[in-house]
Amino acid sequence: MRTKVIALVALAALVVYAVTRPSGATAFEASGEPRDLPAAGKLTELSAADFEGVLVGLRGKPVIVNIWASWCAPCRTETPLLERTWLAHGDEVVIIGVASKDVAADSVRFMDEFGVTYPNVFDGSGEIRARLGLRGFPTTYVFGADGRLRTTIVGGLTEQRLAAVLEDLRG
Amino acid sequence: MIDIGLLVSIAIVLTVPAVFVRPWPPAAMEAGVLDTALGALGIGLAVGRLTALAIDDPGSLTNLSDVMIIRSGVEFWPGLIAGLAWLTFRARREGVSVSARLAALAPPGLIAWACFEATCLLRDGCPGPTSAIGLRPDGLVTRMFPVGLAVAVAAVAGAFVLDRLHRRGHQSLQVAVLAVMTVAAIRSVASIWLPHIGDGLTRQHRASIAGLAVSIAALVVVRVRRQGAAPLVDIG
Repeated sequence: MRTKVIALVALAALVVYAVTRPSGATAFEASGEPRDLPAAGKLTELSAADFEGVLVGLRGKPVIVNIWASWCAPCRTETPLLERTWLAHGDEVVIIGVASKDVAADSVRFMDEFGVTYPNVFDGSGEIRARLGLRGFPTTYVFGADGRLRTTIVGGLTEQRLAAVLEDLRG
Repeated sequence: MIDIGLLVSIAIVLTVPAVFVRPWPPAAMEAGVLDTALGALGIGLAVGRLTALAIDDPGSLTNLSDVMIIRSGVEFWPGLIAGLAWLTFRARREGVSVSARLAALAPPGLIAWACFEATCLLRDGCPGPTSAIGLRPDGLVTRMFPVGLAVAVAAVAGAFVLDRLHRRGHQSLQVAVLAVMTVAAIRSVASIWLPHIGDGLTRQHRASIAGLAVSIAALVVVRVRRQGAAPLVDIG
């Protein structure tokens, strides 16, 4: 009986902690002059200001920004998922990869390995991840068509979560 | 980065069946449910993870840190088969009836699975189809039916039924096969509602349907064999 009570109290404490932990959301809204979307399937180095310009230029369409690095294990799982999403839903949502805290040559090799065809940005200075308030790799930022940040997913994406996000963006 | 939601889920999965569920018959579980099942859980996770990597990203198989990140994907059915194989091996070594051991572990196993599915709430892993009566996942505007919670309820109901059947004298082997069939049926149905990218069935869905077909065939074989082995009744 005593074991059961202790187990119940410990479980309740764990659940309360997990439920009340801070969410991954950060406050961010792009500003500045609109810029063209970098070429699809290529890795283009951009400053934080230019990156924000790309987001401003994309207003009117939902945007998924995925921060990744070639050394990040969950990134290897979610990149094929993002590629599939781009191929299946690229007409309704824009996906932009941001390679950060990485060596450009390694990032390009990673993209080649997974046959990435969506646009990718290289954050050589780390400005973009700082501006977005990145807490860990990978992180995915979902922007609505109005340009506002709707949700931030810290850690690996699952197909279920990504499909739910797409459903939400459509709704 | 530590995934708190996943850690809490695992703590609940291990604690609830071990502390709150009483396996039957007790003689099949002398070492305790946690002691017996921990090895199967570890082996199942390892095999499920390695299989997922072998299918999706074979290049990562040589990198231990990539292998260790189970959040990146675990194949359910290879993991389950490996776990069952481990339990069979341990039961034989301990001189316990394999079917009695598996049947005794079936309800706690289903409860553990139900706990994992129910804790989807802590891992943002519940979303199903858009629904007026659903939950609103963190950061989303749309309400979605919590498939994970529905799976958990179905698994608990399955555990209860299997436990009753076993205590009322159903053959252990039948109970063990029925448990696998229950899991396959629940996963096959739940996969219909799980959001996915693109058209067609997901790999998990196809695997669950195959698991359901195999477990139904196994149940038929077990029943036919049992009828064949039943003593003749003198009607004269």
